[in-house]
Amino acid sequence: MIETSFPINDLLRRKFQTSLITISLTLCVAATVYLLLFSGNIGFEISLMVEGKLTAGFSTIFSPFIIFVGLLSVIAGAVTVSFMIFVMMSQRVKDIGLMRASGCPNDLIFGYFMTELLIVTFIGCFLGVIFGTLANYASIGVFNFLGFQISQKPVNFWLILFVFVLFFALAIIFGTKPILAAAKVAPAKAVSSTYQFGLSKEPGFKIISKSSFTIKIALRSLFRRKSATIRIILCLSTVFTLVTVAVAGGIIADYTTKSWIEKAIGRNIVLVAHQDLCDQYELLLSKFYRAKESPQFNYMDQKYSVPENLLKSLSSTSGIIGIETRLVLETHVEEVPGYIFVPETSTIIEVGDNRQGESLIVGVEPGKVLSECFIEGEFLKENRTREAVIGDSLAQEIFSRPSNQSIRLFDRNFDVTGVCLDPINNGNVTYVPLKALQNVAGLSNPNVIMVRVDPTDRTKILNQISANAKAVNPDFEVFELNEILEKSLSFIGHIWSTVIFLPLFSLIAASLSLIGYVMLTIAEKHQEFGVLRAVGTKPRTVVKIISEQSFIVLLSSFAAGVPIGIILTLLILVLEPVVTSYMILQISGLLLVALVVMFVSSLYPALKFARKPILEILNKP
Amino acid sequence: MAIDEIVVSASLLCKIYQINDVNIEVLKDLNLEVGKGEFVVISGPSGVGKTTLLNVIGGIDRPTSGKIIVFGHDLRVEDEGFLSDFRCSNVGFVFQFYNLVSTLSVSENIAFPMEWARKPEDYIESRVEELLRIVGLEHRADHFSFQLSGGEQQRVAFARALSNDPPLLLVDEPTGNLDVKTGLKIVQILRKLKDDGKTIIAATHDERIIRLADQKLHLEDGKLVNLND
Repeated sequence: MIETSFPINDLLRRKFQTSLITISLTLCVAATVYLLLFSGNIGFEISLMVEGKLTAGFSTIFSPFIIFVGLLSVIAGAVTVSFMIFVMMSQRVKDIGLMRASGCPNDLIFGYFMTELLIVTFIGCFLGVIFGTLANYASIGVFNFLGFQISQKPVNFWLILFVFVLFFALAIIFGTKPILAAAKVAPAKAVSSTYQFGLSKEPGFKIISKSSFTIKIALRSLFRRKSATIRIILCLSTVFTLVTVAVAGGIIADYTTKSWIEKAIGRNIVLVAHQDLCDQYELLLSKFYRAKESPQFNYMDQKYSVPENLLKSLSSTSGIIGIETRLVLETHVEEVPGYIFVPETSTIIEVGDNRQGESLIVGVEPGKVLSECFIEGEFLKENRTREAVIGDSLAQEIFSRPSNQSIRLFDRNFDVTGVCLDPINNGNVTYVPLKALQNVAGLSNPNVIMVRVDPTDRTKILNQISANAKAVNPDFEVFELNEILEKSLSFIGHIWSTVIFLPLFSLIAASLSLIGYVMLTIAEKHQEFGVLRAVGTKPRTVVKIISEQSFIVLLSSFAAGVPIGIILTLLILVLEPVVTSYMILQISGLLLVALVVMFVSSLYPALKFARKPILEILNKP
Repeated sequence: MAIDEIVVSASLLCKIYQINDVNIEVLKDLNLEVGKGEFVVISGPSGVGKTTLLNVIGGIDRPTSGKIIVFGHDLRVEDEGFLSDFRCSNVGFVFQFYNLVSTLSVSENIAFPMEWARKPEDYIESRVEELLRIVGLEHRADHFSFQLSGGEQQRVAFARALSNDPPLLLVDEPTGNLDVKTGLKIVQILRKLKDDGKTIIAATHDERIIRLADQKLHLEDGKLVNLND
């Protein structure tokens, strides 16, 4: 009865320590589960599915970044778990020694503490899985509530089980080591404070004699407890690396993608077209942030044709900066195989597989296009007629090496000159020269007019355009793209905000680890702190010693973790990243906030300890 | 010994510890007066409350009731900030288990109370040298506590207690953990301090120390009995 209840009673008596370790473990597991589930839902996954999510191009470009953040999250979680379990068991060395000294057999001691370890690990991992899954549902709910439709994929239970088993195994492996080590130590040694706290070790280096006593005590304590110090620095450095990659990468990616989207849709651009086509165009653009199928639409209906006189009247309207005409339609497309030369074997091989699909086709006048997509390759040239630029999702779906291939539409081949990142129809789009499209489709007129207006007198100009359009055809109207642009930017902003805050779980877990480390420091030195207080040291001086120790650890980890994070961010991040001085300030500010919050939270045990009466400190065994 | 000035005055001092629902009365309406320069020895069985009494006199612990006036200050009503300063400048503590700060060297252990008292650096250096000479540990200045024997650690504890030249020295079983020969060195230090006119209150069973006392008190059942009478 006593034997079986010992581990539970022991854990319950040490409520604060037990809670700290359980919460850390829960957060690490929850962070990993959440990251894996949520990133899968928003389309950042290895499989690169594009249904109702970001365009394939966005996913491809940012997948390495997200995967890296995920990997770092798992590593940070594993390191944090190993540290917390190490702290938990390191504090029990004396108890193990006492039990051995009183004749308790080794296997029984091992059984007690292994049971404690198993209980804490199981509860932590179980709660982590639950909270991680709930956090995923909550995030999807928030996104949908905000108007961005993210399809909720069924929860992958195998993935969750994998995370559970991984963290459970890690905790057991790292936790068993100190138990075994303590059980092997001779009882006399284990109960001796000289052994428990490593008091027989030299400080390791000479501290400048002019240093204040608080710094001396703090630094020497750090070097004496090398094992714990190295572990906590490793743990915090990993977390700071993760935070830097997520925050710096997230902010840079946010600005970069927003810049791409803004250029692709264009600012202060309005669409002039038949009202049905306006609605359809809105639907096509909103597919980027809303998983919604568009109904069958007959783009080729003559009622959508833009009359010549409307173009003329718009050209003479003041306040219009630019006009572009487009022919938008949807048709069947086919991949045309291409040939590439392989220098290694001096052979020419065929690429492509005659895959087919449906694509939105946009005929544009090269040189007059008002928007500007991020493009791999080059855009259409004015004097070339049989060329095409395809969207990223189309390129992913039915092409192997687009730049070496052609696309077939209306029984004509168009050489692919580039792949663009375009939110329209979620990247399933093909741009071809307007004249060429008119010829192959047998349509004489465009069906959409894009107009860039002067933002200074916007309302007046829009009214004028609307009046001109209605005068020609009452069914024609003006559709502002700014609203769609803002929604797309907001969607991207929310996604990256989520990515930026993904390491929050790890950050909280790391803060708890630091608190655990500070508690270990206090446990190690509580008698000495009691003596310091007894000989006249003020409580704030004790807090100063502990906080200096904690600050040194934190600063060392920050100094190690942040540069690594920045290097990794630059290595794995996007092509042509947008970096402004404001962004650098923003990134620095967030990292400093993380540093300050962690430091302040680590002071809690020190402040709590400083409030204790001296006798309580001195009399603690 | 003629007493010019009372430095410690305790009247109707009570100290009760509550452990779960049980009250343990350690000091019961205890009265005590210690004059300036007096050497007072308190003896008594283990666990009778000698350390508790020293703690109350030194401002480490507060009495449950009664008055404790040390150098004119009623320690029962003073706040922790005052008591820290009070202990730093007026009281030197020597604990039974030495309690040196393990991360500081011998000289640093002696110096730190002076640093808290904001003494000038030159003064601290010369005072540390002087105290190391007094306790005979000049050659151990840069060593750490784990490199010293029990007797040496206790001598460092004495030097630390004297660093701010406090008018009152509280000594708790200073030879309790030492062999006879090592304990003798501690007795010699105490004799020198007595000759220098330091007010000392020591809790001890060591006859060699008891023989030095001006006032011999025995603590039993929470009350002091004067053995001089």
